[in-house]
Amino acid sequence: MLTLSFIAVGLLLVVIQTTFFMPSPLWIASPDLYYILIGYLAYNFTFLRGIVVILPISMVLDVYSGTIIGMYPTICYLGYFMLKFMVDKMPVRKSLYQLPLVALSYLVVNWVLLMMLDFFQPQAIAGWEWFPILLRVFLIYFFSFPLFRFFTFLDKRLRGRISSTRFTRSLPGNQFRQDE
Amino acid sequence: MKKNSRRQGKGSVKTFRFVLFTGTVVTFALILLIIILGDQQVGPVHKVIFEGAGPLQKAVAKISDSVHSVKKKYIDLLTVREEKERLWRELQECRTTAYANRGAVALNARLRKLLDFKESSNQPTITAQIIGKDPSLWFRSVIIDRGSIDGVGKGMPVVTGEGIVGQVYASSSDYSKVLLAIAPSSAIDVLLQGSRIRGILKGTGKNLYRLEYILKTAEVFAGDRVVTAGYGGMFPTGLPVGIVSKVTRNRRGMFLEIEVVPAVDFRTLENLLVIEREKKVFN
Repeated sequence: MLTLSFIAVGLLLVVIQTTFFMPSPLWIASPDLYYILIGYLAYNFTFLRGIVVILPISMVLDVYSGTIIGMYPTICYLGYFMLKFMVDKMPVRKSLYQLPLVALSYLVVNWVLLMMLDFFQPQAIAGWEWFPILLRVFLIYFFSFPLFRFFTFLDKRLRGRISSTRFTRSLPGNQFRQDE
Repeated sequence: MKKNSRRQGKGSVKTFRFVLFTGTVVTFALILLIIILGDQQVGPVHKVIFEGAGPLQKAVAKISDSVHSVKKKYIDLLTVREEKERLWRELQECRTTAYANRGAVALNARLRKLLDFKESSNQPTITAQIIGKDPSLWFRSVIIDRGSIDGVGKGMPVVTGEGIVGQVYASSSDYSKVLLAIAPSSAIDVLLQGSRIRGILKGTGKNLYRLEYILKTAEVFAGDRVVTAGYGGMFPTGLPVGIVSKVTRNRRGMFLEIEVVPAVDFRTLENLLVIEREKKVFN
């Protein structure tokens, strides 16, 4: 149920992004909402469940966007693995630092992907431009606050446990990771 | 004695007052009677009364008017809120109607252009509407609400009344993806309408084309019209593509650097026409 619900939410985000947030084909200020979900999955879902949720969403993105099949699964899984790795290896787990990481990983993933495409298919994509990409990074950061809250709410409702812990509330005690 | 004389004095005074009062009343009564029964002319006495009573009447009338005015304003004030709300609602309705009318006029103009194109070209076309846009920064494509059931197939040219838009990249039974001509991976065979010089039009990802493979020896100027060449069989010949906006002659290289402004405004795309042609598979 949890997996299916998050797949449905992801698909809804993709549809919203390709319609409501795209008033014209040349519009650049469209937030990549799906990537915020990738970030949430990396932080809160088990490895396998995250992979299962991402697969249909990235396939739908491939259909809706672009001309290179497999590009969006690459973006999504690259971002997912990167964030998962950071969550496991970083000493600080405080949520406040996780949101900028989502935006930062988006920048890195896009840069890596563009490098790869520029090497293999230089004619297929537009060149790197700082303003649009930084605008997208900012939009991801901006939208990640409300969306993370929504995902957390949905997650807790679906898992059937109500917790009073809020997402941005500062937690008491040592926030640095303890050796497990 | 003194008391008696005082009583007699008081009595005479009372009699005098009575006589005076009665005389005055009778006199005025007579005057009134004479006036009423007289020739009904406004005499000097009346004029004096006029002049004396006029200012008083005027002042009272002013005060009365002021009181009525205040009263009216107060009553108006009581109803002004309802009136304001009613007028505000009317204004909103008028604005909504005006906005809808403007939209309808714009839509009408666009559809009229499409219809004109459809009627002027002898080729079968399928009308389609854009339902989704590519959100990525690297590609330019749109999703339309027509698919293979409607006759849309891969490679079919997509146009509007102004010119070419792109070509169908993929289609399912009900929907299709259209690769826009401004996409970086798009390349179209074109001609300069005046000089008939041939080149390849490539997308830049922005609202601009780049015209390539035109030799430096060719005479190309800003303002020249660019149309489809129709060599590959993908697009019909002579469809408007854009207008040359900038020509650069570099010292190195064989070819000119030419920028072309699209004939179609890609920012306002809504309704499209898919030209039904035999399937041409492209890479």
